[in-house]
Amino acid sequence: MAESEDVLTIEHVAKRFGPVTALRDVNLHLRKGEVLGLLGDNGAGKSTLMKIVSGFQKPDSGRVLLRGEEVELRSVDHARSLGIDCVYQDLALIDQLPVFQNMFLRREQVHRPVPFLATRRMKQETRRALDAIGVNIPRIDVPVARLSGGQRQAIAVARTVTSDADIILLDEPLAAMGAKEGAMILDLVARLRAEARVSIIMIAHNYVHVLESCDRVNLIQDGHITFDRPTADTSVEELNEIVVEEYRRARLAAISGDGPTEA
Amino acid sequence: MSAARTPGTAPARIAAGEGGSTRARLTAMDVARRFLTLREGSIVVVTVLAILYFSVRTDHFFSHANFVTLLPYFAPFAVLAAGEAMLMVTGEIDLSIGSVYLFSPFMFYEFNKAGLPLGIDLVLALLCCAAVGVINGVFTEVFGISSFITTLAMLLGLGGLTLIISNAQPVAMPGATVTTTTENVTHVVNGHTITLPEQVNHVSTFAKIFGAGTYSELIWALVIVLILHLVLTRTRWGVYSIAAGGNKLGAREAGINVRLTVIRNFVLCSTLAGIVGVLEAVRSSSISPDTSGASETMFRAVSAAVIGGTLLAGGEGTAIGALFGALFLGVLRDGLTLQGINADYLDFILGIAILIAMLINVYVGRVRKGSGRG
Ligand SMILES: Nc1ncnc2c1ncn2[C@@H]1O[C@H](COP(=O)(O)OP(=O)(O)O)[C@@H](O)[C@H]1O
Ligand SMILES: [Mg+2]
Repeated sequence: MAESEDVLTIEHVAKRFGPVTALRDVNLHLRKGEVLGLLGDNGAGKSTLMKIVSGFQKPDSGRVLLRGEEVELRSVDHARSLGIDCVYQDLALIDQLPVFQNMFLRREQVHRPVPFLATRRMKQETRRALDAIGVNIPRIDVPVARLSGGQRQAIAVARTVTSDADIILLDEPLAAMGAKEGAMILDLVARLRAEARVSIIMIAHNYVHVLESCDRVNLIQDGHITFDRPTADTSVEELNEIVVEEYRRARLAAISGDGPTEA
Repeated sequence: MSAARTPGTAPARIAAGEGGSTRARLTAMDVARRFLTLREGSIVVVTVLAILYFSVRTDHFFSHANFVTLLPYFAPFAVLAAGEAMLMVTGEIDLSIGSVYLFSPFMFYEFNKAGLPLGIDLVLALLCCAAVGVINGVFTEVFGISSFITTLAMLLGLGGLTLIISNAQPVAMPGATVTTTTENVTHVVNGHTITLPEQVNHVSTFAKIFGAGTYSELIWALVIVLILHLVLTRTRWGVYSIAAGGNKLGAREAGINVRLTVIRNFVLCSTLAGIVGVLEAVRSSSISPDTSGASETMFRAVSAAVIGGTLLAGGEGTAIGALFGALFLGVLRDGLTLQGINADYLDFILGIAILIAMLINVYVGRVRKGSGRG
């Protein structure tokens, strides 16, 4: 399965949280320069999968291969040093810190020899990065608590995109966004896709967005990847059909009362 | 704001050239607003007001002698409160500093009794305090017990341990004993030189540096608070402390070692309490195992940190605010005493004053959060 052009391969990954099985047996691969769309119901385990790849959580079993080599991702720092960076669904922003410090969280630039924060440099680079992306954030020295949901999300995305990661994980990057900001993020993804320098896994709920922005789409159901198709070979109708079918089964299970009890 | 609308100012504005004057007034207001919206701005104002009040109402408040009297009410608490603020920023609290403050000089005494030199005694005593911080931190961060409970247990347990070690008996602080010798001192009186034997007090250099010198504790407090301020506002350590207290999960997702960050601040807080314990023991040249005094010390330090503008909930804090919080409490205590307020009323008034100071803090905090929105 693992072709040589795969930058990331996930084999037989499983993860439980006490009685809840988030991932049963996940196999997934990401090609170089590709944008992979990941679909799945709420609670299907999408975020858990992202957290495993970003080094935040450890799988119970299974392997992760980077550029064909097996790695044990020890921590977020470790994954980041291997070029993996994630925009988490909860954004991982610190409300009390100003925009520019959030942009450089855990990647702070400091002076030498006294390691004081290089605040001016970080502000300049933050301004440049936000302008390049086209996000409108008037003041970068105010706490992010004062920003709108869309602005916060844009900062989280900008932070990851401007890092030197070459595998980027986007966990519902459009969730808190209005149409205008959402379009800007999709625009950014399109630009990255055209450059083909980085490889991206993007979780989204809107099929149209997925079909437009991604090269390939995977669907996660019951802890497995049940669908893997280039976006060119599928359609909104087909994706809809699959999900409607999933609902139908869930309702039957609920009525008969012996199905898997899912939250 | 309203000044521009009062009729009296209109001619003055015209005379001074309207634009320039208005701009100057706005700038002054901006500066005032900027200052007040600083996290420590409100407590600084409250403290200055308290100092002004007591300077007007009592004869001796604004004097050098009273300043020296005030120092022990202020300097040790400034260090304790600033250390506590560093920890409270991460969302945790250390109630055990009261007992650490007591425990530290007794450990110093024990190491000295074992024949070690003063410098080594100090280092070892502080290491013991740091170890207390590690224990507090591990129970909180690794075993997941709330720091309130962990450090409450430590407050009691370590207080008890200090009683056991000391047999509940006060002892003289090593290195702080004042030796008196009789020496021949030469005076010149009416052109004659007279040499008379006089009693001369000697305090060792160690003691002068570590608390016995008049300004020793003040200098320690200022230096330590300045360093903590820089750490909190200018270093990664500070950023991670705020991150750990502001959004623990987010900080971990960003790759910050929250556990290490919090434990480190526990160690810092304990070690500073240990330093203050030694300074105070040297200053008073004796140590008494007064465990109820220990709790009171802790409560004052925590109060100083909180009224200084540090949030119990974490994510926000200031070392300089803690210093002013301690100064405010010291000024209040000293000023009320000078006014001849009955000692029975002191804590009552102190309690009310703390509540008022907090109300002002909360109000100014709202203004701060509201400013610049949108
Ligand atoms: N840290 C956790 N502790 C316990 N259960 C969790 C944890 N993280 C996720 N889960 C559970 O795992 C399942 C998958 O969650 P998640 O990966 O967030 O789904 P998705 O992102 O697809 O909505 C859910 O049932 C969720 O409740
Ligand atoms: Mg999710």
